[in-house]
Amino acid sequence: MNSNSAASSIYAKPVVPRIVLRPALASVLLHGLLLFTLTANWADSTRDVITVKPQPKVINARLVDASEFKPKPKPKPVAPAPKPKPKPAPVAKPKPAPKPAPKPAPKPVVAAKPKPAPVAKPQPTPAPAKAEPEQPRMSQQELAALTRADLARAVAEEASAAQAAATSAEMAASYAALIQQTVINYWSRPPSARNGMEALLSIQLIPTGEIVSVSVVKSSGNTAFDRSAINAVEKAGSFPELQNLPPREFEKTFRRFSLLFRPEDLRY
Amino acid sequence: MEEQLSLIDLVLHASFTVQLVMALLLVASMLSWYMIVQRFIYFRNAHDEMYQFEERFWSGIDLAQLYREGNEHAAEGHAMLGMESIFRAGFKEFSRLAQQSDMDSEALVEGSRRAMRVAMMREEERLERHLAFLASVGSTSPYIGLFGTVWGIMHSFRGLANATQATLATVAPGISEALVATAMGLFAAIPAVLAYNRLASKVEVFSNRYDTFVDEFSGILSRQAYALRSREKKAGAAAGGR
Repeated sequence: MNSNSAASSIYAKPVVPRIVLRPALASVLLHGLLLFTLTANWADSTRDVITVKPQPKVINARLVDASEFKPKPKPKPVAPAPKPKPKPAPVAKPKPAPKPAPKPAPKPVVAAKPKPAPVAKPQPTPAPAKAEPEQPRMSQQELAALTRADLARAVAEEASAAQAAATSAEMAASYAALIQQTVINYWSRPPSARNGMEALLSIQLIPTGEIVSVSVVKSSGNTAFDRSAINAVEKAGSFPELQNLPPREFEKTFRRFSLLFRPEDLRY
Repeated sequence: MEEQLSLIDLVLHASFTVQLVMALLLVASMLSWYMIVQRFIYFRNAHDEMYQFEERFWSGIDLAQLYREGNEHAAEGHAMLGMESIFRAGFKEFSRLAQQSDMDSEALVEGSRRAMRVAMMREEERLERHLAFLASVGSTSPYIGLFGTVWGIMHSFRGLANATQATLATVAPGISEALVATAMGLFAAIPAVLAYNRLASKVEVFSNRYDTFVDEFSGILSRQAYALRSREKKAGAAAGGR
């Protein structure tokens, strides 16, 4: 009798501990995190605003026009052409970074220089590996076979890491300037345009540089002015130069951007 | 569409059926993650408990003493899991049957073995709880997602039929929002399938261990039963002779 009741008591109450809280928390947290990352990445763009403001008058536009035509044909045939151009501006040293081309030929002269500058200074720890190639500079031919690979890699990594920010920003800026000039050239302002008017357009591009959509985000209050701005962008049609931009940079800056139309050069 | 195709917008602008499918999949995913984590915690506990109990059981402790310790534990509201509950069921049945003097040792061992089998079944049932749910989430949620996608695409193409000028832009958002359903289905299914396979193999390991334990323990019990009965016989013979 007694033992019977004891037996039932052991099975009757669910002796298994209820594990509820931790799994529930984990599940909710996981899904919340997922939702957050998805939505946050999806709509992160703090869009770059390119200001279109023709400063002085027509004369200047012509001048920029001429200079603008020169760089245009260049980037088309040679893809990496725009890269070296912006580089010399920020830093002179890291130029030899374009590792693929000048690796074998200018070994004794060019390859030796970037070593002390970018490698030796910022990295004191891997000294033994990198100090060796420095001393026997004449016998670099032999040593190069051993060290060239990882040296080149180290230099390239550092150079590219250091330059990536500066270069991409510069490139973006130069292409932004290009877009700005192109649009200005196509812009015919209506007579009702006044100094201080501002129209903000949102523009969407695809990687070939074609414009997919143009829409007014902030109107200037003058329909004709807005209309002229949209017309200018639509007449420009596409910016094929943007094809030279690395895809990541394109996605970051030019996939969708804003264009601010603000004439300041008008006399009245 | 003219602005940004954000995920939220995609979900909010989807047709009712697709939204329903998405909600279903979200719930399935949350539940299955809840169960995955819960099962893993439970299995870890059961594993620890099993090792602790086995260590104590084979440490040469008196079985009655072990049983009493278990009683105290249970009185404190401690969990009675896995191997220990099998042991308790077998030992209790054994001691109860041993009090009835007309039972021979074979019946004694057989009875306690049956009790242990029952307890083992119960333990396995506990281990396998929720696994069926994980399995069905793993196998059906891709299909549910696919249904949502097909429905959404159907919808967007029907809208296209009325448009005079068919561009990619008129169908793209519809297809995109429909595909979210498939993505969600896969997201729910993949962890569920993985966890199900892992847990099922763990259940297998546990039930093998329990099986072995039942055999070992009934061996010990049969030894004790024979010793007990022969002692009683001797005592009876001595009492009869006197």
